[in-house]
Amino acid sequence: MQRAIWASADWLEERIGERGILAAFMVPAIVIVVVAQFYPLFYSLYISFVDWTLTRSMEPGGFVGLANYAKMGTDGVLQQTWGRTIWFALASTGASTILGFVLAYLTIGEGRTLRIARTILILPMVIAPVAVGTIWRMMLSARVGPINEVLRGIGLPAPDWLGDPTLAMISIVIIDVWEWTPFVFVIFAAALSSLPSEVLKAAEVDGATSWQILKMVILPMLAPVGLLVVMFRLLDALLTLDIVFTTTFGGPGFATHTLSFWIYQQGLRYFNISYSAAISWATLIGCMVMVGALLIWRARISRWQGA
Amino acid sequence: MAEPAWNAAYDNLPKRVVVTLFVVVALLVTLAPFFILFGNSLRPSDEFMSENAGLWPSQLTFEYYADVLSTNGSTFRILLNSIIVTTATTIVSVTTGCLLAYGLARLRLPFRLSTVIGLTFLVVRFYPKIAIAIPYFVLMRDFGLRDTYAAVVIAHVSMTLPVVVWLMLSFFEDFPRQIEQSAMMDGCGLLRRFFSIVLPLTTPAIATAALLTAFFSWNEFLFASAVGPLNAKTLPVAISAFITDKGTVWGQMSAMGTIIVLPVMVLALIAQRYLVRGLTAGAVKG
Repeated sequence: MQRAIWASADWLEERIGERGILAAFMVPAIVIVVVAQFYPLFYSLYISFVDWTLTRSMEPGGFVGLANYAKMGTDGVLQQTWGRTIWFALASTGASTILGFVLAYLTIGEGRTLRIARTILILPMVIAPVAVGTIWRMMLSARVGPINEVLRGIGLPAPDWLGDPTLAMISIVIIDVWEWTPFVFVIFAAALSSLPSEVLKAAEVDGATSWQILKMVILPMLAPVGLLVVMFRLLDALLTLDIVFTTTFGGPGFATHTLSFWIYQQGLRYFNISYSAAISWATLIGCMVMVGALLIWRARISRWQGA
Repeated sequence: MAEPAWNAAYDNLPKRVVVTLFVVVALLVTLAPFFILFGNSLRPSDEFMSENAGLWPSQLTFEYYADVLSTNGSTFRILLNSIIVTTATTIVSVTTGCLLAYGLARLRLPFRLSTVIGLTFLVVRFYPKIAIAIPYFVLMRDFGLRDTYAAVVIAHVSMTLPVVVWLMLSFFEDFPRQIEQSAMMDGCGLLRRFFSIVLPLTTPAIATAALLTAFFSWNEFLFASAVGPLNAKTLPVAISAFITDKGTVWGQMSAMGTIIVLPVMVLALIAQRYLVRGLTAGAVKG
């Protein structure tokens, strides 16, 4: 059996040659990504220029130019959503980046305890975001949630975390930070452990204190990785959906409608797919500009460091 | 201790105490929600009504698991769906990803086409997935694949391929050419070299890629909910449907949450080394 398979493999190779086989290797993956990613991506650009509401018609309607984009200007919910989402992304990215770095810095080392600690600290990022939302909805439940139980136990007020418009948004930041600090942590932990030890030794020999080493050697060397981390965090935070979906479902009222949540609601709940495609593309262009700016900045830093 | 001397956190004893305390608090904050989830999945339903029920249930009940896992219940079907989707996604994504990565690493194409293809794949990571969820839903409807495993699997494969390809690409590029060349001398064709020499030697990388792919597919919500709402419903979609705030469903919700979370936790702890390598690939080196 095996012999027959290898024989036919050899036969095939003689027919189409090594280059042919290598080219054939590349076909399936390329087809999948083109069909399932790039085609829908450009199709959504197309439907953002037509009039199509799925509840009215199963087929796209006529060309409407920029009408769907213009509609964004008069969508009051959307306008609140922009600001809220950017505020959320900055808060979550800032907090998780600082926390993740501090934790990575504090747990450098080879001991067994440290290794176990590092593994535990990674856990929140590998579990399902919808499960994170579900867990935290129980944690933060006003009446019977464990957090309020503890707060009441030590005589503090027990607020309605997810029911109060302001607190609900803060709660979502806290949940996002809990979930994604591990991402920052794991990247910085790897970056810290791959710092060239000669440089650190040299600084030590020259009499630098550990604070000076942190400030003037480690932080500058980590800047390019740091920017990458910030970029990924911002990108993910700007598009947060799962947590909102499973904790507040956008409420109370519209208080926790984030950008992705509104796109989801428009597209898959009200089936205004043209409008939702238009918001998506506006978001996409915004994200691309941000990514481009951060990557250029990163290239500058790397060049400046001569790395 | 094993900490490097340049670490400011360990200068002197008082600092050590503060730092250790900080890390311990971080560990507690990380683990507490899991503890509450597992506890609630075993808590008798009347305790959910009480404000002073305690953080861990006073009595344990397995009724929610019995309910969720009973073979005639709908949740069992959803669990099976999740297993099928995750397995299929992992197999297809790792297979096609390895093939593409090897092609990219070995084939000399004109106009630096290999780099272009590699970078194009990376772009998939950089745009909001929500932008294609709806057109993908329309596309699957037109293909007649709406609400099938295939629709969910293809979406998951297309989203995990970039990670698999970039992970495998760096491994194939670092793979010692001498080994392949000496096999070539012995008359080993490309297919034989790839399947019986290169692939077996890159199993750690394949394990890493498979782990990341499986986690992603098991956890993914957006596309699963868009194209697999009923027949192909997976666990994350099912748990997101518990949007009622009544304490009465908390038991079932926690049991389902535990079923989603626990396998991933256990695997992450066992395969920690592979996981960290996969999560940090690219970011640190590049």
